[in-house]
Amino acid sequence: MRRRALIGCAQCLALSSLLGPAASRAQSSWLAPPRFERPDVASEEGGLWAMMDREETRLRRSPFILRDAGLQTYLQDMASKLAGSHAPDVRVYPVRTPFFNASMAPNGMMQVWTGLLLRVDNEAQLAAVLGHEIGHYMQRHTLERLRDIKSRSAFGMFMSMFGLVGLVGQMAAIAGAFGFSRDQERQADHIGLALMRQAGYDTREAAKVWDNLRLELAAVHGGDPSQRSPLFASHPGSAERSGTLAELAAGDSGGYLGEEEHRRALAGLQAQMLDDELKRGQTNETLALLNRLIERQPERADLLYSRGEARRLRAAVGDPELAYADFERAVALGSEPAECHRALGYLHRSRDQADRAREAFTRYIDKAPAAPDAALIKSLL
Amino acid sequence: MNYKNIFSRLAIMGLALLLAACAAPVTRVEVGEATIGKRLAVKVDAAWNQFGGGLTNGVPTWTMEGITIDALSFYTDIKDGQTFGPSNPPKGRQPVIFKASMQPADIVAMFQSLQTQDGSSFTLDKLEPAQFLGGQGFRFEYSTVRKVDEVPLKGVAYGRVRDGELFLVSYSAPRLVFFPRYQPRVEGLIKSVSLRS
Repeated sequence: MRRRALIGCAQCLALSSLLGPAASRAQSSWLAPPRFERPDVASEEGGLWAMMDREETRLRRSPFILRDAGLQTYLQDMASKLAGSHAPDVRVYPVRTPFFNASMAPNGMMQVWTGLLLRVDNEAQLAAVLGHEIGHYMQRHTLERLRDIKSRSAFGMFMSMFGLVGLVGQMAAIAGAFGFSRDQERQADHIGLALMRQAGYDTREAAKVWDNLRLELAAVHGGDPSQRSPLFASHPGSAERSGTLAELAAGDSGGYLGEEEHRRALAGLQAQMLDDELKRGQTNETLALLNRLIERQPERADLLYSRGEARRLRAAVGDPELAYADFERAVALGSEPAECHRALGYLHRSRDQADRAREAFTRYIDKAPAAPDAALIKSLL
Repeated sequence: MNYKNIFSRLAIMGLALLLAACAAPVTRVEVGEATIGKRLAVKVDAAWNQFGGGLTNGVPTWTMEGITIDALSFYTDIKDGQTFGPSNPPKGRQPVIFKASMQPADIVAMFQSLQTQDGSSFTLDKLEPAQFLGGQGFRFEYSTVRKVDEVPLKGVAYGRVRDGELFLVSYSAPRLVFFPRYQPRVEGLIKSVSLRS
């Protein structure tokens, strides 16, 4: 059955290159393998699962896990919808880390980082990434990589017989084994799109995930995201990826977007995610992200404050004026975070507007009397 | 996007330790007066170990228990427009630049961006005015959880911008045992810091 699924997928890949958009419809006929049975612990796959089981036990206790029952259920339901008959074997863990990433272990443990949750515009875009991860799981890509590592290790051991040069060879062999191969990533993309389609999502959103991330990374890396993102480093070029996904989805129309549901599921986490994003200090990337988010939701005071603060901290030519406009707009909307007044106070202070600074700092302390920097702010009054 | 995170973590740690062993000489800091950087003088009441080289990214760093446990870091003589922290930031990362016009909160933000670059968490617990280097500076306390091993750490730092140059000394250690054990000694040491003319 699995062999048939692989052949089916390979046929789809071959067809898609020949037929273009027409092939996208063939993707929906992709057959998922049947549910996996737990491998024998004495086998190499069993050993891999045992290792991941230990990692999952550690992850459950991790302080980085988001213990938000609503979000957990939302993500688990999404993954279940995408995984079909494999749903009982896939377990999703939201992890508080402000980078764009998700990962899938061979035992069904999936991690979704908050940096990804912040960056997708709707449920369909998130489904594209989760579907891709489930694609790795269904094709047992990790096992393939393990076998690859083993063959590289044998090569490495041979090289180590030649001293330092051998050591370098060994390290290079191990380094090459990290992550999935580009072909595996391409295959996971195709399967992810097929799973999206089967679950009723709008597949045209998949390409937008990579387009958006490309814009953000280009703000720093001059259009070459592979220079930075661990995700892009092992994945096909983002232009190729976006182009292929757009082509595969070209024959589709309609489908579920889930923008409101996505916003509702993340509503309680927005302040924390934005704060973590600012803490990264990567203001160019953050501004590219926030410009896009504000374009979609111009009435959100928290986004305006965050963009203003990123500009205030970057302090390039023209940034203070733009930051001031964002803070004022956030205050006018009336749901600004307390930190917005602190930021206004610092801006006024840098312009030697002592009275206005005092007024803004006073407002901050009124709104957040227990703030960790209250003592310092009071010393400025 | 798979369990490469685990492999990467192990490999990076292994590689870092390997390189550190080759390139990071450890010297003993004896009791008495020590000079850090060009002109930072410190009165030392107990022996420390000083690390140099790659593991500390060129920032003079002392430790009592070992560099992966506790770290007393000295950021000294940082001029307007100069990079804060590692002189060679990771490839593709926007460098953290100090500006002489920065307020204490902005310097804390700069410090926290260094601490969180590997995905570690950072929480500011307290920021207050404090005497440092014989003048008005600031002091802050923070908590972090290291991403690589999920150890909760507690930290304290003192900073001051003096004649347009930033001086900042920070100490962090595991929250439960080592931080409370060494905090009084560290605070005493930081209060003794002065600048040689």
